[in-house]
Amino acid sequence: MTSDRTFLDPAVLARLLPLPLHARHAMIGGVSGKHRSPIRGSSIEFAQYRKYVPGDDTRRLDWRMWGRSDRYYIKEFEADTNLRLCLITDASGSMKFGKEGATRLDFAKRIVGSLAYLAAEQGDAVGLWSMNATQKSEIPAKRGASHLGLVLDALAELQPKGETRIVESLHEAAEKIPQRALVVIVSDLFVQPADLKPALQHLMFRKHDVVVFHLLDQQEIDFEFDRPARFVDLEGGEPVLADPTDIARQYREAVRQYLMDMDDLVRTTGIDYHRVKIHEKYDDVLAKFLLGRTPKRGGR
Amino acid sequence: MSFLAPLLLFALPLAALPVIIHLIHLHRRRTIEWAAMMFLLAAQQMNRGYSRLRQMLILALRVLAVLGLILLVARPLAGGWLGLTGGAPDTVLVLLDRSASMEQQNLATGESKRSSAVKKIAQGIEDMFGSRTKVVLIDSATNEPTLIDNPKALVDLPATQATDTTADLPAMMQSALDFITVNQLGRTDVWMASDLRQADWNATSGRWEAMRAAFAKLEAVRFHLIAYPQTTEDNIAVQVDRVARRETSDKAELMLDLRLTRHSTQPQPVEVPLQVVVNGTRSTLKVMLNENELVLQGQAVPIDKTVKRGWGRIELPADSNLRDNVFDFVFDQPSMPLTVIVSDDPDVIDPIRAVVSSPIEPGRKQQVAVLATSRASEIDWDKTALVIWQAALPQPDDILAKQLANNVSSGRSAIFLPPASNAGDGSAFGMKWGAWKNVAKVENVGALEWWRASDDLLANTRGGTALPVGELEVLRHCEISGDGSPLARLSTGELLMARAASEQSGGAWFCGTLPGSAHSSLARDGVVFYAMLQRALIAGAKTLGSAQLREASANVLTSNVAWKQADGSDKPVSPLVAGVLATEDRLIALNRPLREDATALVSDEGVKELFAGLQFRRIDDEVENENALANEIWRTFLILMAMALIGEAILCLPGKRDAQRVEAKREVMV
Repeated sequence: MTSDRTFLDPAVLARLLPLPLHARHAMIGGVSGKHRSPIRGSSIEFAQYRKYVPGDDTRRLDWRMWGRSDRYYIKEFEADTNLRLCLITDASGSMKFGKEGATRLDFAKRIVGSLAYLAAEQGDAVGLWSMNATQKSEIPAKRGASHLGLVLDALAELQPKGETRIVESLHEAAEKIPQRALVVIVSDLFVQPADLKPALQHLMFRKHDVVVFHLLDQQEIDFEFDRPARFVDLEGGEPVLADPTDIARQYREAVRQYLMDMDDLVRTTGIDYHRVKIHEKYDDVLAKFLLGRTPKRGGR
Repeated sequence: MSFLAPLLLFALPLAALPVIIHLIHLHRRRTIEWAAMMFLLAAQQMNRGYSRLRQMLILALRVLAVLGLILLVARPLAGGWLGLTGGAPDTVLVLLDRSASMEQQNLATGESKRSSAVKKIAQGIEDMFGSRTKVVLIDSATNEPTLIDNPKALVDLPATQATDTTADLPAMMQSALDFITVNQLGRTDVWMASDLRQADWNATSGRWEAMRAAFAKLEAVRFHLIAYPQTTEDNIAVQVDRVARRETSDKAELMLDLRLTRHSTQPQPVEVPLQVVVNGTRSTLKVMLNENELVLQGQAVPIDKTVKRGWGRIELPADSNLRDNVFDFVFDQPSMPLTVIVSDDPDVIDPIRAVVSSPIEPGRKQQVAVLATSRASEIDWDKTALVIWQAALPQPDDILAKQLANNVSSGRSAIFLPPASNAGDGSAFGMKWGAWKNVAKVENVGALEWWRASDDLLANTRGGTALPVGELEVLRHCEISGDGSPLARLSTGELLMARAASEQSGGAWFCGTLPGSAHSSLARDGVVFYAMLQRALIAGAKTLGSAQLREASANVLTSNVAWKQADGSDKPVSPLVAGVLATEDRLIALNRPLREDATALVSDEGVKELFAGLQFRRIDDEVENENALANEIWRTFLILMAMALIGEAILCLPGKRDAQRVEAKREVMV
């Protein structure tokens, strides 16, 4: 670890380590792991009975079943595999919003870094996708400590800059990431939900388990300013002169409509959506996220 | 609108300060780095119209406030709404009441109603219009339009100085109307200054209606009446009703009938020292004035037996109106007034002859001549004090019409009665006879509903008792048409008696019925008939002989005679100012018309009615009021500024926080 990895807090990681990261869907991994696979395997977890067809391995015949029913059944077991965790981080200029040292990107780094560490710790492959108008970083998901270091270094070097390209980047990721991966998107999502929806559906179509951490600042919601000001676009757009007393009502109405549209999007796509305010404690956010993914008792 | 401190108007560009500050502020606003621009832009899009309008309104109100402040300190002057609503008119006609009653003054400053009005009008025109407008003066003494070069010159102009004349407001209005019509004036402002005396305004005259209709057609004429309706209770007026020289074996004396009047609501007894000046010799007579009127009849003033002819004056101590404190008189051997009755009807001649044969003064001889209508040209005009004309009215170009007009112009009296049958189509003094009408029996009781009791032929007696005019019965009457001043009306509203309104020194009256029993009870009841004929005769007799008592007016002096002051002073001779004038063989005492002493005013409603339908504005002023007509209107600008600031503050108030909306928004966030 050569770069600054202050976004990783050992205390937080120690607290979160007991909480395994589970995928909601079956994953296709390269090695054995903790995650359910769509391919039947040789774990001790019974999956189903299947009629014998010629060519099946006779070693898997359930002779007891044959004894009871005089029919040949193959006994199948779940296959446990690892998952590919693809962390997509928005590094556009708008991620710079917030106080020095507590910007939206800093918050995102903490989330992404912690998830990468937790996944690597449980033997999963970790990859990092970050994008803005000028930079693009694609680190495919791989296992191993050295790869984790690469991911964390890349994360540490992320700088917020330029316009967001989240929609294009998600389409691109959907095409490039092999099927059945856990895709975690960390962004402020300052695009129209209608534009975002096809990109998310694209990911879902590729059978990825999509998780979205939607990072917002309370100030962006309340818009509580008392004096006219010059609002400078962090993504480099034209500055706007505005009197908040004039437009606060309309601003809040626009935010309300946006959030309602986003809720609709979540409902229709079925993604795992987490609206997070960046003043919250990220470890609580992660804990809540991980606990929410823990399988119910008796299931996997 | 003008300004007392016009230099401060150079600061007007400062009104742009709010705009400049706004522009500077735009570039000095605090900068906020913002990520959620999509919401901001959406909000601006939603709010664009109102926000821009609000910004512009705020800026406009700020500019208005600064503008108001600058104009405020520049001390703007304007004549009420006039100064605020338009530019200068093409012409300003100043109608100035110069009657004697307008000389009521403020004792502290010596400023009279007239002088105050003249100064304020001059200043007002100067302030409001400067030299951009033409100023024309029509004064009540001459009724002639005079073009004024400079509004300020009004103050010192001889035509605006005090006179002892009366005013005829309808005639002044007519003069103004003629001037506007003849000169085809554009936008014209008519400024009138008057004390609203009923005697001057003659509000019941039929001339008003015709003039109102004519002015209503001139849309560009606006009237501004500067009214001085205030009267004072301490003012005492003096007049001499009669002067007669009486001589006995051992002495000679003047017998004076004097009258002191005042108009106090709670009269207190006051001792009045009367100064009596006869041929330059002064004596003092102290009298007690207990009520509002004191009549001293037969007050004897001793004179030298050798003095057969002379002049004199009664003077009162100074009070609020100096013009009614002096009354000049002249005396001489009494003339023998002649009454000429032109009629063919014995029923008319006999009662008239009986009345006019009765002496108007004890011991004074008088003559009566009866002429048939065909012999009317034989009238001896020089001796005639009263003509009673019961014949068809002469045609205007008839020599008789001119002789009648001259006679009345020289102060004599004329009473016109309608011919019993054919009234003809002639006219005199602007009046004509109409058709005869019978008065229905049921209307006969109290046939006279109204008559003018304040002055003229049907006035109340000296003691204040009303003549029994209401008891008269009128069975037939002849319609009277023309611009006369009504003296009596029937219960049907029709005119029974009127005084011709022409500019005459004497009087010309028209009575619409005859004294005979077939027409009215004038002769039978007698009192009213006697009073009116005697009064007309007395009025006409005053201008007979070599010593005459006349009312001051523009045409009272014959122009071809060299008049001089009787007391030998070198004061300029003016027919408009009271005094005694003399020639080699004549003496004439000029005094204010006695109706100038009457304080009856035209009511506010009456004034409104006179100007109904015209662009009219009334300003009630006082002599004590030293404010100019063009008042400083800084208060208006102060209010304007305050309103602009309040409006700006309201627009700048932050909007109410919609707590429920915020709560709903938070719920969405959860």
